Amino acid sequence: MATAPKSTSAANAAPRRQPARDIVDYELLFDCVHCGLCLESCPTYVVTRAEMDSPRGRIYLMKALADGAVALDADALRHLDLCLECRGCETACPSGVRYGKLIERAREYVNRNVRRPPLERLRNWLIASIFPYPERLKILLAPLRAIDRLGMRPLMRRLAPAGMRDWLDLIPPRAAAQPVIQAAAPAADSAPAAVVHHGCVARTLLEAENRNTEGALAAAGYRVVRMERTVCCGALDLHHGNFERAREFARANVRELGRHGGAAILSAASGCSAVLAAYGDLLAGDPEFAAAARAVSAQVADLSTLLLRRNFNFPRGFPAAVTYHDSCHLAHGLGVREEPRRLLRSIPGVELLEMNESDLCCGSAGSYNLTEPAMARELVRRKADNIAATGADYVVLGNPGCELQIAAELRRRGEKIRVMHLADFLALALSGADI
Amino acid sequence: MASSGNSALDSAAVAELRAIVGDDAIVSRPTELKVYECDGWTIEKSAPELLLRPRSAAEISAVLKVLHRREIPFVPRGAGTGLSGGCLPVGAPVMICTSRMNRILAIDYASRRVEVESGVVNLHVTNAVRERGFFYAPDPSSQMACTIGGNIAENSGGPHTLKYGVTTNHVLGLEIVLPDGEIAELGGPAEERLGYDLAGAIVGAEGTAGIVTRAILKLTREPEERRTLLAIFAGVGAATRTVSAIISAGVIPGAIEMMDRLIIEAVEDAFHAGLPRDAGAVLIIELDGIAAALDAQAAEVAELARAAGAREVRLARDESERAALWKARKRAFGAVGRLAPNYATQDGVVPRTRLPEILREIAAIAERYSLKIGNVFHAGDGNIHPIVLYDERDADETRRAIEAGREILRACVAMGGSLTGEHGIGVEKMAEMPLIFSPDDLIVMSELRRVFDPEQRANPNKVIPAPGSCVEVAAPRRQVVL
Repeated sequence: MATAPKSTSAANAAPRRQPARDIVDYELLFDCVHCGLCLESCPTYVVTRAEMDSPRGRIYLMKALADGAVALDADALRHLDLCLECRGCETACPSGVRYGKLIERAREYVNRNVRRPPLERLRNWLIASIFPYPERLKILLAPLRAIDRLGMRPLMRRLAPAGMRDWLDLIPPRAAAQPVIQAAAPAADSAPAAVVHHGCVARTLLEAENRNTEGALAAAGYRVVRMERTVCCGALDLHHGNFERAREFARANVRELGRHGGAAILSAASGCSAVLAAYGDLLAGDPEFAAAARAVSAQVADLSTLLLRRNFNFPRGFPAAVTYHDSCHLAHGLGVREEPRRLLRSIPGVELLEMNESDLCCGSAGSYNLTEPAMARELVRRKADNIAATGADYVVLGNPGCELQIAAELRRRGEKIRVMHLADFLALALSGADI
Repeated sequence: MASSGNSALDSAAVAELRAIVGDDAIVSRPTELKVYECDGWTIEKSAPELLLRPRSAAEISAVLKVLHRREIPFVPRGAGTGLSGGCLPVGAPVMICTSRMNRILAIDYASRRVEVESGVVNLHVTNAVRERGFFYAPDPSSQMACTIGGNIAENSGGPHTLKYGVTTNHVLGLEIVLPDGEIAELGGPAEERLGYDLAGAIVGAEGTAGIVTRAILKLTREPEERRTLLAIFAGVGAATRTVSAIISAGVIPGAIEMMDRLIIEAVEDAFHAGLPRDAGAVLIIELDGIAAALDAQAAEVAELARAAGAREVRLARDESERAALWKARKRAFGAVGRLAPNYATQDGVVPRTRLPEILREIAAIAERYSLKIGNVFHAGDGNIHPIVLYDERDADETRRAIEAGREILRACVAMGGSLTGEHGIGVEKMAEMPLIFSPDDLIVMSELRRVFDPEQRANPNKVIPAPGSCVEVAAPRRQVVL
């Protein structure tokens, strides 16, 4: 590599040195006092140990961009792109910096102002046009299912280009039969209501967790309301800076969820739950939807909290060594950490073994494992090491993205540890069968 | 002084350095260098021309040999959480960051010591030994991010240093790469040493002797139990009198920390720790040791506090209450970020008995400069941390904030105290060094430094002001004109 500063990339060729004032909500920047307490909470910093890959560094970069002190060049883009939006830094920050809001806005700005290379554009277009639509994803996966039936996945994996292998690994082989929670009797009309938003990816690849989330709620005495016209929560669009479509999705969901006033709202995907909880913010400027969106967000709850509230019981024991992975937006977004652990400990026979760095992102992060495979792989390796070190037989978590990501790595390693959504694990514990 | 380095750091030098550390460990483009232009002291900014991120002492040694031959000054950096601008490049074009050297090399419980690379995070040392009932005692508020190397440079303290001592009391031995590239071992694993304490000379040298790459640290046994008290006062006077009363009664708590009203409010807004918003000051007093003695001690301390005017003394009932108090205390600095866009944390020391006096003086200074100043500090050892709030967009307010900080330090010195308890001199306080040290003192220190760094290329223009001038200011570094 040449010693001279690199100046070949498209973005560098014509640096935008005029201040990118809109890149952040400028007032929010002043919450950061540059203390650096966030550094070790940031997965990318933990891996690269470079300031520009830390929350403090990225905030500094955003401020420098807004001030026009640096150009939105390839380097700036690189470090903004590498952020997982896990919001681990928000948990660590003593000053209450709203980092998620800062980076979302920056991504929106980048999305509007930077033209990506053709391959990246194609990739992003594919992600944006397939994942939020379960029907499309099903069609796309059909050929793979056929290949799986013929037992030819290993061959296909070998023939696939290296860049595609991680993508392929994420798709679980055909699901083994899973226990499903059966509610004894329908709950009375007076019972508290809960509505489960079915996430897009879960609906296609991990259907059991939606059913078991509803089953567990019903078994705990909730009246489970079925959502009719659910659409994608908008998480992918939010993370990619496509606010317009995120708002469209939000409006459709608010319209639908608003009909179940008073019901607790949750998704089996905690990533989606966190987005639902942010609808109030997202639609704050929309006079028609602002109030309804706030109401929806206020009702967002989490499965373990709801179950603990109703004294969810396990008549039979289930002897198992379990470790718990904190999904980012459940822990850092919704602040739910203790409840799932308490629920797991309440199962007779379950031994909860804490892993190191349980709340460090696994690299899944929405579609991050598709757009930043190298960093995602590094993080999931670290996660798998931490999981394996506990000696647990099960790793339980609350988000399908993490489930796919972690399961893929454990399969690659030939580890027998089972990765399960909390709802699926509850179903297993209730059935008492070790399958 | 040595070459400014601008001309020496040519493309041949960069190529030589690149060959040593590799492409992924060299940062040379302005956008990336920008984020390295300041640490936790944000009033002054200056980016390095080149950043190196080596992985080993051998790489650092090779790098320093090149820099030595080419007469290029350098500045070491850990996590960049320092509060006095210790890793601000001033006439040092090359920055060397140790954050990648973060391995814990050996834990020896039998001898109660741990050997680490200098880029290890302070809290990670404790995390690694906690299971066996040990901890690493110096615990600065930034312990979740700051590095052991940075702690050694600044001789960092923390709340528990009242009883357990500061960094220098916990460093047995060091490996340091001297500015000419030679690797030296100072001190060693044995507790008793012969000859001059050279490792002791390096601790607190703020990176002006070379780059520490490895350290042997003492481990401390976790106390059997703790009692954590919250004493609530109408004002800071009664609170600080209590501190002296406790110490002179012969009780040495693990920590005595004070927060005044401004800080209490900030902390409550941030964490809802349950501190009384109407209090003028609170003390967090932590007693630790053998369980059998603690209840009587806690009762004695509570009585002393009441006698000094505490309106209430609460005992943390369980670990979660204790944790909430400490979270409030440890993150108080950050919580202050909610009160103003910027703040400068001062760090001074006064004899414990003069705490009431210095706090009155600080209040008067705040008044005079029309500034808000909060106080949260290690009261047990008289180490004050006035937090001066300002808005960097307001040039006049920024200037007043700096001036007020200086005046507080002068007051500390006048009361028989010192310029810094734990943050170091850095660039921030060089101008004040002559308040404490005579020209002869400074010359002696300078000569000691030259033993390790004859050409003064390791973190130049820090700590010791150049003779004959109050402070040597490199042209571009001062963002704020004083």
